[in-house]
Amino acid sequence: MFNKTNASEHPLNRRNFLKMSAAVAAAGICPILQPGVLWAAEGGILKIRDYSDIKSLDPSFFLSVPEENINACIYNKLIAFKPGRKWEWELQAAKSIQQVDPTHIAFELREGIMHSGGFGEMTAEDVKYSFERIADPANKSPNIDDWGPLEKVEVTGKYTGTIVFKSPFQPVWWTTLPYTTGNIISMKATEKVGGKYSTDPPSFNGPYMLKEWKPNQRTVLTRNPVWKGPKSYFDEIRIFPIDDEKTAEIALESGDVDFTRLSIPSLKNYTKTPPKGAKTEKFPSLYWLWMGMNQDNEVLKDKRIRKAVQMALDRKTIVEAAYFGFAEVANGNVPAGLLGHRKKTTLPDKPDYEGAKKLLTEAGYPNGLDLTLEVLNKSTFNTIAQVIQAVLSPAGIRVQINIHDSGAFWVLGSEKDSDRWKSIQLIVGRFSGVPDPSYYTRWHLSSQVGIWNWERFSNDEYDKLDKIALGETDQEKRAAMYVRMQELLEESGCVTFITNEVIPVAYRDDIKPAFRPDGTPLLRNFSKI
Amino acid sequence: MWIYLAKRTSLAVVIVIIAISLLYSMILMVPGDPTAVILGPRSTPEMRDALRADMGLDRPAIVQVGSFILKVFQGDMGTDVFTNRPVSQIVFEQLPYTMILIFAGISWAIVLGIPLGCYSALNRNSFIDKLTGIFSVGTIAIPAFVIALYGLLLFAVQLQWLPAIGAGEEGDLVDQIKHLILPAFAIGLGWVGYLSRLVRASMLEVLGENHIRTARAFGLPEKLIVFRYALKLAILPTVALMGVGVGYLLSSSVFAEIVFARPGIGKLIYESVLTRNYPIIMGSVLITTIIFVLCTMMADIINAILDPRMRENL
Repeated sequence: MFNKTNASEHPLNRRNFLKMSAAVAAAGICPILQPGVLWAAEGGILKIRDYSDIKSLDPSFFLSVPEENINACIYNKLIAFKPGRKWEWELQAAKSIQQVDPTHIAFELREGIMHSGGFGEMTAEDVKYSFERIADPANKSPNIDDWGPLEKVEVTGKYTGTIVFKSPFQPVWWTTLPYTTGNIISMKATEKVGGKYSTDPPSFNGPYMLKEWKPNQRTVLTRNPVWKGPKSYFDEIRIFPIDDEKTAEIALESGDVDFTRLSIPSLKNYTKTPPKGAKTEKFPSLYWLWMGMNQDNEVLKDKRIRKAVQMALDRKTIVEAAYFGFAEVANGNVPAGLLGHRKKTTLPDKPDYEGAKKLLTEAGYPNGLDLTLEVLNKSTFNTIAQVIQAVLSPAGIRVQINIHDSGAFWVLGSEKDSDRWKSIQLIVGRFSGVPDPSYYTRWHLSSQVGIWNWERFSNDEYDKLDKIALGETDQEKRAAMYVRMQELLEESGCVTFITNEVIPVAYRDDIKPAFRPDGTPLLRNFSKI
Repeated sequence: MWIYLAKRTSLAVVIVIIAISLLYSMILMVPGDPTAVILGPRSTPEMRDALRADMGLDRPAIVQVGSFILKVFQGDMGTDVFTNRPVSQIVFEQLPYTMILIFAGISWAIVLGIPLGCYSALNRNSFIDKLTGIFSVGTIAIPAFVIALYGLLLFAVQLQWLPAIGAGEEGDLVDQIKHLILPAFAIGLGWVGYLSRLVRASMLEVLGENHIRTARAFGLPEKLIVFRYALKLAILPTVALMGVGVGYLLSSSVFAEIVFARPGIGKLIYESVLTRNYPIIMGSVLITTIIFVLCTMMADIINAILDPRMRENL
């Protein structure tokens, strides 16, 4: 039988998937609508700090993680991430779900999940509406890519339906169904308000509903009276948008919040002196940070120069300096714990300055060369840039750092916005991720050159592997393809992987939190000790 | 007096229009694409183009500025690009929090600063005068955010007497006051020093003038001389300073609202700048500019009432 505890490591191929779905449904492992599941004691208020205020609670127009933290409480998904240190999902609104062939996923909803406001029971029509409206280009959802090649959702019964893709799309199991664009909303309620909303959802179907949103102040969730599933522990969840990390840490220490994410320097301090009445934990993050080189730049078009920079780059020192020893050096962009994680690198453990100088001499730069490095104006990136400047210096590579604010930085490599892409040389890049390798590799496809592929890396094998891997149901084969793609990226000299970072969190010691493996809080699963 | 008022009001309107035009131009001059910040790294160029058109950013700068000012005169400050809520609604939701904070900060500074200044002037070179001097210079010199952080660490974390974040429960006045104490203390402390130094200097100058000497020669009680004749004149520079002070406190409120995670217009502007939410930036800056101009105008009017010679100076 499929071993559920290794869901992220075992193949989600058709055979195993059918076995798993059947087993889950039969055993009732996820008793979403079994009223007997209750906490020993419950009630009270959970106070959470998030780093920004909400902008939209419409899953179609999701912009940031704090919004999904709330959406996960007020809506249900067919499947949801399971709390723990391993990437696994469990059934939520679905009674069963199975990949019947590479392009079809059949599902059956649990009965009795109600939409608040008198909008009736959740049906397969709601599922169809929720997913198709995101995938419809006419709706201009910024999250359209999450649904990839979705063709339609066929409704086969009141509670049953089939998700149909034009071509195989394996990321759906990790980036779409259990994440924000997998949230199911009420079709009737949404159409009643014109088919779109922002911070005022017309209906809720999760254990909580939105009680109050005070912009810049707090969002309050309260129990949803029509929720018939297992009760969440807390009567109320208050989410405070606090941008400043220090303020959040003071709020935790004073007891004004029960949970917050920490800054890396604070983790260092708290490791020495733990916060009073609170605990800290750190999680491997889904971010990836790299140094890129623009291969279409006049100087860097010579691969020997790119390789020389790679050889001289002391990645260990960079990570030590910027993350105080809490993060690991990465050998790929796909983080540990995910399918396709690359464990080994071809780069030297220690910087090879002599080798770098030799390559530079061969390339016509016996006296070294001057390069520019573009970074975002955040303190961690500034530190990284300064360390890069220092570690490349012994190889004769003199680096000038150009710091940009987010508005200027995120359009640097965009061909459509300006010709600035031509003069880009080195870049410190950082992207967030979701738990599927395709999300990490897609940014360096040839089709992304001039959009997000600022290194302008282009490789036929890479592009071909991406297409095949998206539909490959044998997870071992799929993993090998992503590892190969990361090898190609590194081998080109365009990308040098630096780290996948780390996420530290802190919470009051009477709280029993629930997290995704990357430290993202799953608020509806929080309880008290 | 009416002519003075009319002239002063016209000048205020011109100042607001010039300030807004300058600010709008400055925002447009900042490099980078606001739609890239708003839509995030996953947006496509087509999505960014569409949003640019929605926000009117594809039009010439002069048209954008003109259109904004015209709409403001029609009572329309635009719509938030994220939530589609009217900017006026968002700004006026936040404004009371900032005004209460500023009022609380300046009030306690007046209550403490003016008597301290008077006492110092009347007891020149005494031990208390010297102590007040050191205290005043100290409070002026210490940055407000340092006071805020130490206040938080002491009163919220160590002693747990006061809350660290937020503005308190709606309808619970005691809770709201508790949430106001630390931020008001932080933004007002520097003003205690300013006011006491200013009032001391003005009082010393006024106490040396002929009419005070004449009053003393007539044998009027010292209390009457100080509070009725000297303080009335000595307070004039303070009133003028208060007008400018509101502008200073508006900028102080930005850090206070961030450090104390309080809602307010300062925090709104800060976050809107980070996310390049132009409609909110413009709406918020417009309102704060109007408040600032009104406060300086009121200070001028009060001065003109207290000292008729000022009316000639416009």
